[in-house]
Amino acid sequence: MDLIQTLLDGLMVGGLYATVAIGVTLVFGILGILNFAHGQMVMLGAYTAFFVVSSGLGFWPALIVGMVAMGALGLVLERLVFRHVLTDHMAGLTASLGLIMVIEHLAAAAFTPDPRNFDPPLPGSFQLAGLTLSSQRMLVLGLVVLLVVACYLFLQKTRIGKAIRAMGQNRTGAALVGIRISQVTAVVFVLGSAMAGAAGVLYGSLFAITPYMAAAPLMKGFILTVLGGLGSVPGAVVAGFLLGLAESLGSRYLSASFRDGYGFILLIVALLYFPRGLFGGRAGLRV
Amino acid sequence: MSTSLDMPTVPSLPRVSSMRQKVAAAVPWLGWISLAVLLVLPVLGGSRYLVYLGTLIALQAALATSLNIVMGYAGQFAMSHAAFYGFGAYASALLVSAAGLSFWAAVPLAMLMAGVLAALIGYPALRYTGGVHLALITFAFGELARLVAANWHTLTGGPMGMRVMYAPAPLLGMDFSSSKGLYWLAAGMLLACLLVSVAIQRSRFGRGLVAVREDETLASFLGINVVGYKLAAYVISSMLAAMVGCAYAPIMNFISPELLSAHETISLIGVLILGGIGTVAGPIIGTLVFFGIPEMLRVARLYRLVIVGVIIVLVVLFMPKGVAGVLRDRVERWKRGVA
Repeated sequence: MDLIQTLLDGLMVGGLYATVAIGVTLVFGILGILNFAHGQMVMLGAYTAFFVVSSGLGFWPALIVGMVAMGALGLVLERLVFRHVLTDHMAGLTASLGLIMVIEHLAAAAFTPDPRNFDPPLPGSFQLAGLTLSSQRMLVLGLVVLLVVACYLFLQKTRIGKAIRAMGQNRTGAALVGIRISQVTAVVFVLGSAMAGAAGVLYGSLFAITPYMAAAPLMKGFILTVLGGLGSVPGAVVAGFLLGLAESLGSRYLSASFRDGYGFILLIVALLYFPRGLFGGRAGLRV
Repeated sequence: MSTSLDMPTVPSLPRVSSMRQKVAAAVPWLGWISLAVLLVLPVLGGSRYLVYLGTLIALQAALATSLNIVMGYAGQFAMSHAAFYGFGAYASALLVSAAGLSFWAAVPLAMLMAGVLAALIGYPALRYTGGVHLALITFAFGELARLVAANWHTLTGGPMGMRVMYAPAPLLGMDFSSSKGLYWLAAGMLLACLLVSVAIQRSRFGRGLVAVREDETLASFLGINVVGYKLAAYVISSMLAAMVGCAYAPIMNFISPELLSAHETISLIGVLILGGIGTVAGPIIGTLVFFGIPEMLRVARLYRLVIVGVIIVLVVLFMPKGVAGVLRDRVERWKRGVA
């Protein structure tokens, strides 16, 4: 019973990590930009949800507003900054570092560093087959699975999703067959940012919201991006659930204070022995 | 494209005046002389505030110079620089206060430990081209190091930080217990980093690093051990960061886990980009501008960091070569008599 509970907890946390990682890996895999400011989108998404819930509209509007607001912010950032550094890894990375400083410190000034919480839509817990399950955690797990599946179907089935994948394989080739590169770039950025916003809302419904909350999910998102194979969305999702399980089993049965270290060990091992990651999309070129 | 008949398509080489070449050759020396003046200035001024400010700027410039070795010359994105800086501070403080070593014995020991750690982190990540792996793994490592420093209460004092109550013992007749003495310690760190940086730049190793930065595949065809070179640059740069960290502890009398945060590394990267990445003068010019402007503006620390972020983004978009890079290009063109 204890084991099952730990596993479910791991899946829930892992799902949150995966939601962050999908955004990172989409933007990196398709556009070649390693967006360090992704974590700040998660943080802003959580604050959006806090203010919407506090104004009495409830959780579901908060989720939608959070996703739409972060998608819009992503669009603005893409138009102003990232589209000018598309082909340059290092410039894109550096620009995103600058954005971290701006967003995080403005957020600290505007929202004060005090931690905040909002009431989850499903408080309390319920009994199922002898297990005591937190309702909100199960809701988050369900929502995460829904988001991941929706994102996957969008990329696989829709016309624009196919265009995105084509661009990920070969930008020039995609342009030659008539895909509008600048439009697709914007869509990818909006999609990734909306996923970050959703992750932020779900984070906020479980944990404290502070202006500095971005670092931990971002670090996990990066670990998953490598573990899953740079640029592979299914890889990031599977790796996310695995990392959540490893963390929750590790902190339950080994040491809880080393929780954040397990992912890092996984990352080192993966780089040493499985360099292409789980679903090795873009193989690391070795010299 | 319009073609004009009377213009030669290949510009004939302009006659280079020897005067121009001599003046251009003097520019680096001018830089060194201004550095010497700048270094002496805080001590002569006699104001305590100026000495304090000079110490901070010297430390930051030393860090930026050491980061420039791996980022500027080798072109590898290391996000762990602040972590090694903090590692050096914590390690030397513990070696001195808990293990009873002298400061001058603790510095090489802390550097050695940092070097081993950097090799362990760097090797798995640097085996692949592109540098993205290193950025990811070093960011994760830096965050992990900060969490360890904040949570290992018995060793580091946890998030409340650690007090440091010692001054380095006198060395070569220099006394390091006064604020001026500590200023010279920081300035010495800067000079040591500069020395290593210049030595690397002029060596075969340094030219190899630049080749790796420009094209890893081509560099490997030229017989350069690409992984070895990248790893050596990362290890040297991290060891120097730890060395500067050793000086941080007695200067500030206080170490907190915030020292290891990614923001410190981001500031340093901003300094490099602004000053001119891959140049000797760039890190120092960048530090002066970065810390000078907010100091003059006298704005709150919070908004200072916002300004830092805005500067980073603007420089990446509009002046990717940085101040020193632009200056170098100007001098080169002037020397060739083009402008």
